[in-house]
Amino acid sequence: MLETVDLCVSYGAVKALNGMNLVVPQGEVTAVIGANGAGKSTLMRTLAGLVTPASGQVLFDGVSISGHKPEDIVRNGMALVPEGRSTIPELTVEENLRLGGLWRDKSDRGASKNLVFDLFPILGERANMRADTLSGGERQQLAIGRALMSNPKCLLLDEPSLGLAPLIVTQILELVSRLASETNLAVLLVEQNAVTALRVATTGVVLHLGEVVKSGPAAEISSDEELRHAYLGY
Amino acid sequence: MTNFIDYLLGGFSNGAVIALMALALVLVWRSTRMVNFAQVGQAMFTTYVALTVQQSTGNWLLALVVAIVAGAVLGVIVFFLVIRPVKNSDSTGAIIATFGGLIALQAAAGMIWGGDPQGFIPPVDNAGLEFAGRTWPISLYDILVLSVTAALVIGLTLLFTKTSLGLSMRASAFNPEVARLSGVRVNRMLISGWAIAGATGAIGGVLIAPVSSISPNSFDILLVFAFTAAVIGGLDSLIGAVTFGIGTGLVISLVSGYSDSGNAPIVALILLALNLLLKPDGVFGHHGARSV
Repeated sequence: MLETVDLCVSYGAVKALNGMNLVVPQGEVTAVIGANGAGKSTLMRTLAGLVTPASGQVLFDGVSISGHKPEDIVRNGMALVPEGRSTIPELTVEENLRLGGLWRDKSDRGASKNLVFDLFPILGERANMRADTLSGGERQQLAIGRALMSNPKCLLLDEPSLGLAPLIVTQILELVSRLASETNLAVLLVEQNAVTALRVATTGVVLHLGEVVKSGPAAEISSDEELRHAYLGY
Repeated sequence: MTNFIDYLLGGFSNGAVIALMALALVLVWRSTRMVNFAQVGQAMFTTYVALTVQQSTGNWLLALVVAIVAGAVLGVIVFFLVIRPVKNSDSTGAIIATFGGLIALQAAAGMIWGGDPQGFIPPVDNAGLEFAGRTWPISLYDILVLSVTAALVIGLTLLFTKTSLGLSMRASAFNPEVARLSGVRVNRMLISGWAIAGATGAIGGVLIAPVSSISPNSFDILLVFAFTAAVIGGLDSLIGAVTFGIGTGLVISLVSGYSDSGNAPIVALILLALNLLLKPDGVFGHHGARSV
């Protein structure tokens, strides 16, 4: 579904990603974990088209999308939920959601909205309230809901646990993981919180200073003590 | 007391036009985070276009429609010619560029239509209405001006709150990155903002022309009042621009009535300074709206 080939991204002299190879298959959650500064957010921003890679390729459905604009990438079927609960506080819940799929046919949009309301019922109850009246967990649900409104084939989640209570994070991630297997959605999850991420993921990838140091089944990675001590700090 | 009421009533129509100009400034601010000082120049230019249409056809409504279209087109032209090249420079560069745009438009209008003030014949009578045994400071034309302004404000409100275009434009203004990630073509929304602002300013120009006459510089003072209203209103608030546009019109009318019309710009600038000292985010603005 989504693949990167020797992906390199630099900010001036700093190499944020150094030849990254990654495969994100359909129907499951792939978790990229690593400490602060490992290059996780850079990876997500590059995949979504906000950052242009220095070299290497991003393949989506086998077609190179490197250098495409973010608005085209999302219309093409890959949606990013950026770090920090990216809702627009001045808009209502319903407007935030509608924004996610404005270019689509009305009937298709309606179907997506029903799916989002089924998944996150609280958003239906709060539809006409401004997004800044929601709690942190509700806003994260709204941000994910907005991304789902584009009917993505691939969903990118950047650090969804940031600033949320562990229980809420687990609930949200379990919903996403169920959605992945039920609707054949490819999910790429980037997390500092390795324990929670590896619990819902099928495959785990450990990123350190812009390079993949290990990838494999999530259970294997979470039980590798040496790896945990060296790169994940717990 | 009669004087006071008369001065107040006389200020509404002027205030409506200031509100339209302030709206144009706010629309541009919301799309590109810059104040377009060329806005009154654009309105002056399109009002000349309207004058030409009216002189050759005698049809005011046609002249207004042509001005609206010309205003939208000119807004897009100014964006590409003046703003696009300086978009990535600092805000001082952009401000100077819009002033340059204003001067260029004034020079062009002078070359095409000459520098002498010309009259613009109103479509309906502009004399004070006779009612209840006396002459009131409001004319049939003032009522037309207020009606057109009200219709436009309602139209813009519906556009922004009810349509997909409006939602895309608001999202692009509040958070361009999230808008792009949601599939909105933010650049197009930005250009739409300049077009709608240009059309709004053009309506203001056509409406004020019969009262003020038209020359390449005749709208300069309008810039001072509209800028004051837009800033006090918070620069990114449509309601703020309308409220304080009309408010500024009333204050000018009172100042002119009780002292001299030459004092009005000074009072406007004092109000602006007080606002910036006491409530720098504007009355309707949200905190940080101007820090971008």
